[in-house]
Formats: sequence, structure tokens, C-alpha cells
Amino acid sequence: MLRDDTNKYLPLTESTCYIMLTLVEPLHGYAVMKKVEEISKGTVKVGPGTLYGAFTSLEEEGLIAKVKEENRRKSYVLTPKGKKVLMNQMKRLEIMTQNGLSVMDML
Amino acid sequence: MAEDTIRKIKWFFPWQDEQEEAWLRSMSQGGWHLASVGLPCIYRFRAGEPRDYVYRLDYQTFPKKDRQEYQQLFRDAGWEYIGEMSAWQYFRKEVKEEEASEIFTDVESKIAKYKRILVFLWFFWIVLIVVFPVRGISMDNPYPWGAAIQVLALSIWLFFTYNIIRLSVRIRQLKKL
Repeated sequence: MLRDDTNKYLPLTESTCYIMLTLVEPLHGYAVMKKVEEISKGTVKVGPGTLYGAFTSLEEEGLIAKVKEENRRKSYVLTPKGKKVLMNQMKRLEIMTQNGLSVMDML
Repeated sequence: MAEDTIRKIKWFFPWQDEQEEAWLRSMSQGGWHLASVGLPCIYRFRAGEPRDYVYRLDYQTFPKKDRQEYQQLFRDAGWEYIGEMSAWQYFRKEVKEEEASEIFTDVESKIAKYKRILVFLWFFWIVLIVVFPVRGISMDNPYPWGAAIQVLALSIWLFFTYNIIRLSVRIRQLKKL
């Protein structure tokens, strides 16, 4: 049952996926933007409009939660439900990556 | 009013926000920088050295506390907040090479912005139907100005319908990308 519960959020967009990946530890908005660029090796950049929208909907769905507020900057972190969603997304991506690697020499 | 400011009243449709951004940029390139925005569709520009400012519009409504968090996030990312006009949030940034000049970095979040406007449009569309049931314009209205109000309500309703259709087409175009 839990599985179905989280599957409705999948697939996540690349931006949302990276935003969630950075939130394994509490971070505020700008820190998320910098970290996404860093861990994606510059392949993904998240603008403030996109990030604010993601924060709003992820929080509404209970996938992330506010942990503290400092100088108008709010920090968020993944909830257990958010972790489950992200985990399922990673499994899907892993299957896709394996498929890609197995036909790599034909590409 | 000081000589170095001008006011312009300019209307734009919600699916034309990118043209609006481009127009504001061209104003800045011509030495007129957006100083404030206000209802109804009033832009105030201040004269200055021509600069290549990129303008971006978001569409957001929120309680006051969230607004501060929102503006801080944009400031941190290098955007200057100019103001709000009926939920449109105006930002600008001076263009530099190698620096992000978009506030929306994927199609999905751009679509989400237009969907927020659609929710607002649908809301008023339904309210208008409930308050002024569309049953044709009857001349035997008990009030002398009744027919005029009905015509007005019908026009506003058609205007909202037009906006909803055009905005939906815009969303569909983006989905094809």
C-alpha cells in the first residue's frame, strides 16, 4: 500500500529530484541552489522561481518539512515520506541507467 | 512629479508575460528603469544610464510571512525585487556572462506558473456564472439598468473565457517542448 502511495509522485522532474537529494540535510533555498549545481556537475541549475514552486508543492505533499527560520531564510529537510519517494525514484533511475549501459556500445 | 520619472499605463495578457519582460528590458536599454508597479497596470520608470537589465515576472500569492522568505530567496540568487501588481511579481537582474538569467529553469515550473493564473481565472469565471446566470439578455428586466449590468457581466465573462482559452493554448505549447 505504501508503495502505491509514493508511486503517484513518480517520475520526479530532474530539478525536483536534485532538490530533494540536497535535502538529506537541512538547507535553505540559496544553499539548495548552489548544492544542486555542484552535485550535478553543472548539468542542472535551479532558478529561484522553480525552487520556490518546488518548495511549496513538496511541503504541501508532506515530502519535505520546514525545520528552522533564520533571517527570513527557511530551511527544509526530507520527511520519511519524502525519503521513500526519493528512494523509489532512485530505483527507477537505476534500472534505466542499467538499460542504457547495456546497450552503450550500440549507441 | 520629477522630470526624471515617467508613468506608463500598459495592459498585457497573462500569456504575453515574456513579451512584457522583453519590453521592460528594452526600456532599460533606452535608459528608463522600472522603479515601481501598481494597479491598474501603472509602470513608473526612472531615468538613468542605459543598462542591460533582464526582467522576469512570476505569479504568486501568499501570506505576508511567506512573501519575505520568497523575496529573500530571489535576492540571494541575485535578483532585485521591484514590486507586485495583482499577484505578478517583478524582478530584475543585470545581465552578466555565465550567469543565470532565468527564474524558471525547467518547463514544468513555467507551466506551474501559468496554472496558478488559470486557477484564479477559473475561480472568477465560476463566480460570474453563479452571480450572473447566463440566460440571455432579457429586456423585461424589472430594473432599468438590469440589462446593462447583464451585458457588462456577459462581456467580463467572455473576457475571462478568452483568457482561459489562450492561456491553456500557451500551456499546451510548452508541454510540446
